[in-house]
Amino acid sequence: MPGKNNKAGDKLKKKGRTPYKKGDGMSALLFLSPTLVVFSTFILFPVIFSFYLSFQKWNMFSSETTFVGLDNYIRMFQSEEFWQVLKNTAIYTFGTIPLNMGFSLMVAYALNKKVIGKKFLRTAFFAPVIISPVAAAVIWRWLYDPNFGLINWFIGLFGISPINWLNDPTAAMFALIIMGVWKTFGYNMVLFSAGLQGIPETYYEAALIDGAGKWTRFWKITIPLLSPTTFFIMVMSMIGSFQVFDIVYVLTSGGPLGSTKVLVFYVYEHAFKFFEMGYASAVSYVLFAILFIFTMLQMKYMKSKVLGN
Amino acid sequence: MPGKGLKRTVKISKGIVFHLVIYALALVTLAPFIWMVLTSLKDMNEIYVYPPKWLPEKFRFENYKNAFEAAPFGRYYINSIIVSLSVTFGQLITCSMAAFAFARLRFRGSNILFYIFLGTMMIPYNVTMIPSFMMLYWLGWIDSFKALIVPGLASAFGTFLLRQFFMTIPKELEEAAYIDGASRFSVLWRIIIPLSKPALATLAIFTFMGAFNDFIWSLIVLNSDEMRTVQLGLAIFRDRYLTQWDLLMAGSVTAVLPILLVFFFAQKYFIQGITLSGLKE
Amino acid sequence: MKAVLKKIVLLTIASLLFFSCGNKQQQSSGKTVVVFWHSFVSSTVPALNELIARFEKEHPNIEIKAQYVPTGDALIQKLVTAIQSKSAPDISWIHSDFMEDLVKADAIYKIRDFSEGKNGISKEDMADIYPSLLQYASWRGTLYSMPMEATNLALLYNKDMFQKAGLDPNHPPRDWNELHEYAKKLTLDINGDGKNDQTGMFLPVYPAAGPLSAWMVWQWLPYLWQAGGDVITNDQSKVLYNDPAGVQALKLWQDMYNELHLSTFTSDYDVAFASRHLAMAMDGPWNLPRYNDILKNLNWAFAPLPAGPNKQATIVGGEYLAIFKQSQHPDAAWEFVKWMTKPEVQAFWAMKSGYLPIRHAVKNVPEFQEYLNKNPNFKVFVDQMEVGVAQKSIDYGGLQITRHIAEAIEKSTVGKMDVKKALDESADKSNRLLSSYSKK
Repeated sequence: MPGKNNKAGDKLKKKGRTPYKKGDGMSALLFLSPTLVVFSTFILFPVIFSFYLSFQKWNMFSSETTFVGLDNYIRMFQSEEFWQVLKNTAIYTFGTIPLNMGFSLMVAYALNKKVIGKKFLRTAFFAPVIISPVAAAVIWRWLYDPNFGLINWFIGLFGISPINWLNDPTAAMFALIIMGVWKTFGYNMVLFSAGLQGIPETYYEAALIDGAGKWTRFWKITIPLLSPTTFFIMVMSMIGSFQVFDIVYVLTSGGPLGSTKVLVFYVYEHAFKFFEMGYASAVSYVLFAILFIFTMLQMKYMKSKVLGN
Repeated sequence: MPGKGLKRTVKISKGIVFHLVIYALALVTLAPFIWMVLTSLKDMNEIYVYPPKWLPEKFRFENYKNAFEAAPFGRYYINSIIVSLSVTFGQLITCSMAAFAFARLRFRGSNILFYIFLGTMMIPYNVTMIPSFMMLYWLGWIDSFKALIVPGLASAFGTFLLRQFFMTIPKELEEAAYIDGASRFSVLWRIIIPLSKPALATLAIFTFMGAFNDFIWSLIVLNSDEMRTVQLGLAIFRDRYLTQWDLLMAGSVTAVLPILLVFFFAQKYFIQGITLSGLKE
Repeated sequence: MKAVLKKIVLLTIASLLFFSCGNKQQQSSGKTVVVFWHSFVSSTVPALNELIARFEKEHPNIEIKAQYVPTGDALIQKLVTAIQSKSAPDISWIHSDFMEDLVKADAIYKIRDFSEGKNGISKEDMADIYPSLLQYASWRGTLYSMPMEATNLALLYNKDMFQKAGLDPNHPPRDWNELHEYAKKLTLDINGDGKNDQTGMFLPVYPAAGPLSAWMVWQWLPYLWQAGGDVITNDQSKVLYNDPAGVQALKLWQDMYNELHLSTFTSDYDVAFASRHLAMAMDGPWNLPRYNDILKNLNWAFAPLPAGPNKQATIVGGEYLAIFKQSQHPDAAWEFVKWMTKPEVQAFWAMKSGYLPIRHAVKNVPEFQEYLNKNPNFKVFVDQMEVGVAQKSIDYGGLQITRHIAEAIEKSTVGKMDVKKALDESADKSNRLLSSYSKK
C-alpha cells in the first residue's frame, strides 16, 4: 500500500530538471534582464551601501561619514542590550512560526474542501493582514486590558486568574506572539491555498483509486507536493519574524523593561532616534548573517529530505 | 440501511460542527475589523468610554464625510490606485520572467544569483532606505510617481514566490511543447502562466496591498500635496499629542476597501481548481 | 488571456503617461515662495490657513506654502532625506531632540544671526519671550530656532469625585502631600468586587509611556524640578537626576504606582477620565477643545501642578521653527518667523489653535484678556508658563540620557526596584556616555 501511494511523489522525483537545452544561458539573461536592472539599482546597491556604512560613523544629517573600522561590530558584541534583544527576537521567532504555519495550513486545508461561504471565510482570515497596525493595536490593547479585557474574561472561564498582559515582562512577549500570529497567519493561509490549488487533482484521484485514506493522502501527497510552498513560507516567515517591527512599535514599544525589544526595533531606534546609522547597519548585517545561515540550513534540509535530489 | 442512515447523520453533524468551529474562528479574527468599522461610526463621546462599547447609539455616517473633507482624499485614492496597479502589473510580468529563468533554465551562476536575491530580503528596510532614496535623487526622480513605481518593478519576494510555484508544475507539458518547436517565451506564456493563476493571484494581492499600504517610502520621495497617497493622507488625523479617532477610523476603513476588492477579485483564481487535462500517464 | 493582456498594456501605458506628467513646474507668481513644513493635525489646519492668510495680507510679496509632514519619526526621516537631496524646506518644525544633529550637519541657520541683525527683534521683545522656551530653542547657548507656540502640563481633575470623597472641589491638591493623600482617597472599590472602579491619579508609566518612553519622562521631569533637582550640571559634565531630589521625586511615583495599583490600570487615561474611572491626571492644553466637547456631562477643571518640596514647576514644550541653509529665501523665511513672535499674532494664534502664547505681553492684548476670562482652564496653562521649565537641551547624547531616565522610572515602578539603585544604575550609564563624548 504505502509503496503504491508513493507513486505521486516518485513521479515528481523522477522528473528532476529539464534536460539542458541550447541557449538556456542567453534566454535566462533575457528573462532576467528587466528584473536585474531594477534589482541592482534599487535593491542591491542600497544593501551593499549599508554594508559599507556598517564600518562608518554617520549621523545621516551630515554629508560626511567617518571610517571607524570594526568599532560598530565590537560595540555591538560588547553591548548587553544587543544580546538581550537577540534573545527576545529568537523567542518571538520560534514562538510565532510553528503556531503561524500550523494554523495557516490548517485553515487553508479546511477551506480547500467544500465549505459554505468560502469566499467570506477567506476574506475574514485575511482581514488582519490588511488592517493598519495602529488600528489593530488599539483593539488589542483593549483585549489585553487587565480589568475589562476580553482575553482575561475568556481565560477566566477556565478558572485562570487574570494576567497583566502588557505590564508583565514575561506575559508581554506572549501577548506580542499572539497578536503576531493573528496579524500574519492570513498571509500564509493565502500562500498555502495557492499551493494547494496547484496540486493537480489527478494525484488525489490516483491515490483514491489505490484506496488511500484521508490522512495517508494528506501526508503522502499534500505535504510532499506542497513542499516548495512550505519551504517558501518557512523562509519568508523566518525573515518576517526576525524582522518584526510594526506590531512591536504599536503594541509594546519594546517594553516593559525591554522584554519585547526586538532586533529591528533596536536598529530603528539607533538609526532614527540616536542617529547612529553606522551602528544600525552593523546590527542589520548580523541579522543578515543569522537569517542567511538559517535559510541555507533549510534549503539543505529541503533538498535532502523532501525533494530527494 | 439503518447503518447507512447513522453514517449520514454522523457525517452531517460533523459538517455542522466543522462549520461552527470555522465560523467562530473567523469571527474572532475578524473582530478587530468589525470593531474598526463600528468605531468609525461612533461619536467622539462614545469612543471615550471605558470599558469600550461595541455598538454606537447612532450610526454617524458624517464621520466619513468629515474625513473626506479634511483633505482631498479623492485625489489621494487616484494616486494610490495608479501607483499600486502599475507596481502590481509590472511585478507580475518581471517576476514571472525572472522566476521562469530560475525555475526552468539552467545557466551558470543561477544558484549564486538566487542566493543574492534571497539575501537582499534579509536586510531591514530601515538601513537601506536612505541609500535607495539617494539613488532616486541622483536620477532626479524625487517627487514623481516614477520614484514609487519603478523601484517596485523588481521584487526578490515575488521572484522567489513564483519560482517555488513554477517548480511544482510537472514538466511533461513543456517537453511536449518544446518538441513541437515552441519558444521558451511561449512556454512561459501558454503553459506556465495559465497553470499558475493561484500563485499569480497571490502575488497580485500581496503586491497591491504592499504598494497601497506603503507609508514611509511614499513619505520621503513625495513632496507635493497633489501627489500624496491615501496612507500619507491618513496621517493628518494624528499628531504628537492628539489622535482624531473617529476620522482616523473612518479613513482607515475606506483605505482597506480597495484591498478587499482586489482580494475578492483575485480569489476567483483560488477557487477554480487546476485540472491538468493534458497530463495523463 | 488576450483580454487580460490588453488591459495590462493599456493600464501600464495610462499610468506611464500619468506619472510622466508628474514632474510639474513650480508656477512663478512673482512672489517669493517660502515652504513651511509642519505637522498640525487636521482640526488645526483651518486655523493655520487663517494665520497664513493674515501674514500674506501683511506681506504681499511673500507666499507661505504650508506643507503637512506627519509628525515625529516621519518628520525626522523626511528631514534627513531632504537635507541629503538638497530639497529641504525654507522653514520647518524641529524638536530639540535632533537640534544637535542639525547643527552639526550645518543644516540650519543660527536664528541669532537674524534676531540680532538689521531686521531683528529688539532686546525688550526678546526678553519678553519666556526664557524656558528660548533655552529649549538653543544649542550650547546659541539660539538656533524660534518658538512658534508653547504647551505645558497641568492637573486635570474631576470635581464630582472630589465632592463624593469629602474633598473640596475648589481646592485641588497644592503640594505633593495633598496630591498623594487625595490620590489615595480617590481610589475606590465602589462595587466591592476587590477591583478598583475609580483610580485617584494616573501616571504614564509603561505601557502608557509613549513611543520610546518620551512621554513618561516628560511627565516625570516636573517632579524632579519641584523637588529642586535637575537632569544635568550646567557644564554638562555629569548628570544630577540621581541626587536626593531625584530619589524623592521617583519615590513619590513609586509609592503612588503601588498604592493605586496602576500596574493594572488602562493606558488610555483620557478615556478613563471621560468615563468616570479616573479622578486626576496630568494633561496638556491640546486636549482642551476635545474635553470641552466630550466632558460636557462631567464637572471637571484644570489646576496648576502641585508644588513639590522645593518649588512649583511645570514642563514646557512647543513647536520650534528653524530656517534651513538650503533655503533660497532665508530673509523672507525670517520675516515669517519674526512675525510669528508679535504679541497680536501670538494672541490670534493662541485663540484659534488652542496652543499657548510664547511671551508675556500677549496677556496685554484686550481680546486675549477677554478670551482668558471666558476660558479659565486655558488661563491655568497660560499662567503656569511663569513657572515653566524646559527640558534642558543636552549638548551630546540627550536622547540616550532621556532613555536612561525612562529605564530608571520603569525599573522602580514596573520592576519594583529600589529607587536609589535604579537611578544610580541609569546615572552611571549616562555619566559614562558623557565622559566618552568629552574624551573626543
